Parts: sequence; C-alpha cells; structure tokens
Amino acid sequence: MAMIVKFWGVRGSIPVTAQRSRVFGGNTPCVEVRCDGELFICDAGTGIRELGRDLARRAPAPKAAHLFLSHLHLDHIQGLPFFLAALPDLRVHVYGVSDDDTSRKRLLSGELGAEFLPQNVEQPRASLVFDHLDDTEPRRVGDVRVRSLPLKHPGGCHGFVFEHDGRKVVYASDVDLDSGTSGAKERTATADVMTLRPVPRALLNAARGADLLIVDGQYDDPQYRAHMGSGHSSCLTATDLAIQADVKNLALFHHDPDDRDSDVEAKVKLCLARAAKLGAELPIFAAREGVALKL
Amino acid sequence: MAETSSHRRSEATVPTLIVAARRERDVRPHRLQQIEGAGAPRLIPLDREEFVMGRDEAANIRINSARASRRHALIRRHEEGFELLDNESRNGVLLNGLKVYSAVLRDGDVVQVADGVFVYHES
Repeated sequence: MAMIVKFWGVRGSIPVTAQRSRVFGGNTPCVEVRCDGELFICDAGTGIRELGRDLARRAPAPKAAHLFLSHLHLDHIQGLPFFLAALPDLRVHVYGVSDDDTSRKRLLSGELGAEFLPQNVEQPRASLVFDHLDDTEPRRVGDVRVRSLPLKHPGGCHGFVFEHDGRKVVYASDVDLDSGTSGAKERTATADVMTLRPVPRALLNAARGADLLIVDGQYDDPQYRAHMGSGHSSCLTATDLAIQADVKNLALFHHDPDDRDSDVEAKVKLCLARAAKLGAELPIFAAREGVALKL
Repeated sequence: MAETSSHRRSEATVPTLIVAARRERDVRPHRLQQIEGAGAPRLIPLDREEFVMGRDEAANIRINSARASRRHALIRRHEEGFELLDNESRNGVLLNGLKVYSAVLRDGDVVQVADGVFVYHES
C-alpha cells in the first residue's frame, strides 16, 4: 500500500505571511503521513491548524492520529491547541521520546504554559493519549514501523522514520548536520570542492534507501557560517547526506523565514548542481505547503 | 453653554463621517495556458468547480496523448484558487518537474499531464 506524504507547514522558526513566501508557504512545520489506514503527524507547528480543518472535512472523519513531536520549540507546537479544538472526536496519541516526557505531557495537556497556549476549558477538544517512543526500540502502529533517532539541535530534537511494505520516509526537521564534525567552517567556505561532506552516522543509516528524506535545509553555505550553532543545516550538506544515503527523493525543509520564494528556489538549484557534479541522479525539491506525494 | 466662535470653528472642521470600503476587484477566472503538446497553444479559463484532464473525449481539458489516462487528473476549485489532483493515473502528474499526488496551485506553476504542458495563471 502506498504512503501519502503531505506538507502542511514547511517554514522554520516563525510563521510568515508575506507575499514573497506565498509559493512555498509560511506555516511552521507539520507533515502528514498516511499509510495503511493510519494517520501520522510530524510536528504541530501552525500548519497543523490547516491539517485539522482538512481532517474535519474528510469523510469518514479519522478517529485516531499519531502525533510525533520532534522537540518543543515553539514553531513545532504552536498550532496544537487549534488542532485539538477543531477535532473534538479525535483521539491523538502523542509520542514522547526524551527525558522530558513529564514536562511534555504537562505542556500539551494545558497544565503547563496555559498562559502561552490559548485554551478554552469549556470547549470540547480531541483527547490526548500519551505514549513513549524509545530511540532504541521501534514501534508498530498497524503495519507501519516507526522509530525515532536523536538529532543535533539546541535543547535536543528527534527525527522519525516510517516504514511500510518496503517504503521508507524519514523526517528530520531540525538538525545541524555539520555539528560535531571538524572543518565545517572550511568546508562550507569552499562549496565547489567536490568531496562529500561527513554527516551524522545514525541519520545516514536511518535514511539509507529512503523513498523520501525530509531534512533541514534552511541555509546555503554563507548563511550556515553566519549562523553556526543555531542548530540548522546547509542545504548542500543535506544534499550530501541524501547522496550518501542513496535516497530516492530529497525534500529540503524548515525554510528560513526571511527567504523569499526565489531564495528557496535558488537553494534547490544549488543542490541540484552539486548533485549533478557529484554524479548523483537525485530528485531534489523544496518542501511546499499544500503539496502531497504518493510513494 | 453659550455657543462661542471657537465652537463654531470646531464644528466647521469636524469632518463628516466617511465610510470607505475597498472596491471589489473585477476578478478574472484563473487560467491554464497550454504551451506544449497537442492542442497548444490554447488558453483555458478555469470558470467552473472542477475540470477533468485526460484522454477521454468527455474530458473538460482533453489531452490527446497515448500517455494520458482517460481521466488522468483533476483541477478542482480550492479556497486558495485551484488544486491539482492525480486521478490515479498510470503515468502521474508533474508540478514544476516533480511528480505529485496533489498540490494547491500557485501563479506560474507548470503542470504536465503526459505530453501536455500547462502554465497556471491566477487572475
């Protein structure tokens, strides 16, 4: 059975509404993965509000969803109250993966941070079921195998791998692929050096052969050098990861909030040129709100 | 209170209430411009809720190509304009060169169905 992946929010850090970003969209991260009758959601940025509106119109309406939060930075959770309010009959399984599961539960239940996440306690909303996803042990949801892996990002972050019937989708929204590797500043200063960059081994192994790799590609090399330590990647290092992992499709994700559509398109062209020089036939595109792929 | 000259001056300078509203723009239908493939060039106004693109003679936007399925794709009205949907076709639908299952269309998008290439124009 095919996997359907739909992008509902692809912008990093803060939602953007400007005309200059209309093509790729300004909602913060939310990706829907539908497979084998199951509904998986990666992150609850502002894009999840649009997903919720769409789910409310679907017939039949889904009864359950599995929500995987990569981390608790605001751009990855700020849409959740609106989603929960839109679907009062939905049962949402929320998967915690880190040591702060307790604070995650308290935050999402409304106990913690109520002054920041607007909630009307009189209004019915989707029920939350808290579950745990261990990095060392994949879970089965229906016939879909799901696992998490840690990513280098300030405060910690997790990526998720979805596998079903020989197909694989990897979601790694926030990660500095060059973090912890020596020579990152020098490598990104000479983008025309045709040597594949070292990438995190765990993510490389997890992404091997993936039908779709959705990965942080917020910066080009000059932007990356200017923002080293911010926790995000150069799109060219993302390209090298995809090449080494032999993925079938690469989606650049977490677009910079200051990037115009033309800036995002320019990054894709840079990556395609690099892949071509390295002899890789790799479809590369920028994740775009409202686009769905069938794998 | 007795009216004073300063009151009279104030009344004279108080503007009458002005109600201003944005003019409703004359909205042209969105359009698909076929630039390649049999039937090009042609301009198709998107003036209904749904269009079927395909090889079928009854298709709203006929694609005369053996590589097109009979009802290959749909262009359906969406709150943000129009949405492109692959209708379980054999060869898929390309949006700006990427094979998609569905996509909300934006001005300037290039849609390819078999040999037919179309540019989407917003009004």
